[in-house]
Amino acid sequence: MNPVIVSPVLHPHILVLDDEPMILLDLEFAIEDIGCIPLAALNTTQALRHVENGCVTAAILDVSLGGGQTCECVARELAARGVPYILHTGDLDRMDEAVRQLGGKLVPKPTPASVVVSTMLEAAQQSRAPEPQ
Amino acid sequence: MPDDRTEQAFQIHDDSPARFRANHREDSFAGASGVLFEQAMAQTRMAICLCDPTQADIPIIFSNRAFRKLTGYDEGEILGRNCRFLQGPETDPAAVAKIRAALTAQEVVVVELVNYRKDGSRFWNALHLGPIYDDAGGLLYYFGSQWDVSEVRAARSEEQHAREMARELSHRMKNMFSVIGGIVNITGRSRGIEAEAREINERIQALGRAYETTLDDSSRGTVEIGQSIRAVVAPYDPAGNRIRLLGNGLRTNFGAVSVLGLTLHELATNALKYGALSGDEGTVDIDWQSDRLERDPTFRIDWIERGGPAVNIDEMRPITGTGTEIVDRLLRMSGGTIERGWDPRGLQVTVRLPLQVDRA
Repeated sequence: MNPVIVSPVLHPHILVLDDEPMILLDLEFAIEDIGCIPLAALNTTQALRHVENGCVTAAILDVSLGGGQTCECVARELAARGVPYILHTGDLDRMDEAVRQLGGKLVPKPTPASVVVSTMLEAAQQSRAPEPQ
Repeated sequence: MPDDRTEQAFQIHDDSPARFRANHREDSFAGASGVLFEQAMAQTRMAICLCDPTQADIPIIFSNRAFRKLTGYDEGEILGRNCRFLQGPETDPAAVAKIRAALTAQEVVVVELVNYRKDGSRFWNALHLGPIYDDAGGLLYYFGSQWDVSEVRAARSEEQHAREMARELSHRMKNMFSVIGGIVNITGRSRGIEAEAREINERIQALGRAYETTLDDSSRGTVEIGQSIRAVVAPYDPAGNRIRLLGNGLRTNFGAVSVLGLTLHELATNALKYGALSGDEGTVDIDWQSDRLERDPTFRIDWIERGGPAVNIDEMRPITGTGTEIVDRLLRMSGGTIERGWDPRGLQVTVRLPLQVDRA
């Protein structure tokens, strides 16, 4: 059987990080709806593995991941690679200052999954726009 | 209590300021200001002491009645000792270092530190310390005032704890609304009723937004109506220039939040489908205020659409549809009313709801 080669250019791979499986699944569906391929991660270890594979086109990151963990290390890694991401959070006030300083558009929870995904698309397009063609 | 008589004597008359004055005729305690000092020191509830920086280890040379009352020590046990005799195991060395630095620099300092009474009980002391100079500018005394702020600190930490709990609650609630949204969407997909699921979700999310604003403020029994309105309608005006919010400040009980949230959601959805928000130009003004014309306390919300598609009054029929019906019945059950007016310039709606601000 030949390996199926999926081109990240033709099929953008979207990393979704959230410690809540139901939210993750909802976002996965919404990503498939727009013809992209979701890469789901319940924690930063899984998320970083996807990032290191180098195929992430854009990302939706939940900020607080339980147990005091935040998405900071993933956001940094994405920023270092120039991969656009948005922050999906239920706690804008308490959001970690370190994470806030990284930038990244904020989407408050609860927001319908389709809106979260379209916001991510806009952010991804904007980050690409200023580059010379 | 062995000191009972002495204590009573202090309350009637504290002669320590007078005795102190008698021994310090050389300085500013003479004359009218001296009498003032004597009376103020004897009467104030603020614990006060003076320390002598010209002597070794800066001993206390004067303490008023309030100081003795606060610390439980007699005058004889206080005079001649350095203030640090009030410190103990739980006193923060950093606070002590701050005091020492201020003394060296002859600066005023205010620190809160743990001190101990004669009976060993601890209290939080808000210590104010500063130099007093003579006419020639020479350092004469250190002035210290002590205030027991134990209760203030307890209230402060309790308040902070309540705030943190409210935040945590808010965070979990928002997360829960997100999860509920996920469940509804996924169930809708698996049953092939995505459109219905979306409609259910939109109502739930509107409710979530209306409640959200109340959570950060949940230590209060009431909610600010305007904050809930703003949160509910915000997604219908992403650029922030189509919906104008005119009211302010009015509060009511939590009970109104769900009705308010669902009503505004329904009005906004209709405006988006058929009304002022369906085109590129129209606007909606939302005003809210207490309605003084009503017999019972009532607040009214006015929803005024302008610049939408032309309204032909003759063609207008009363709005029907499940959303409208739900809102009408919800309002009726909550003791409220809704009136829809057909103005050629656009829809005008007035919603009235009982205004409740009674505290539990």
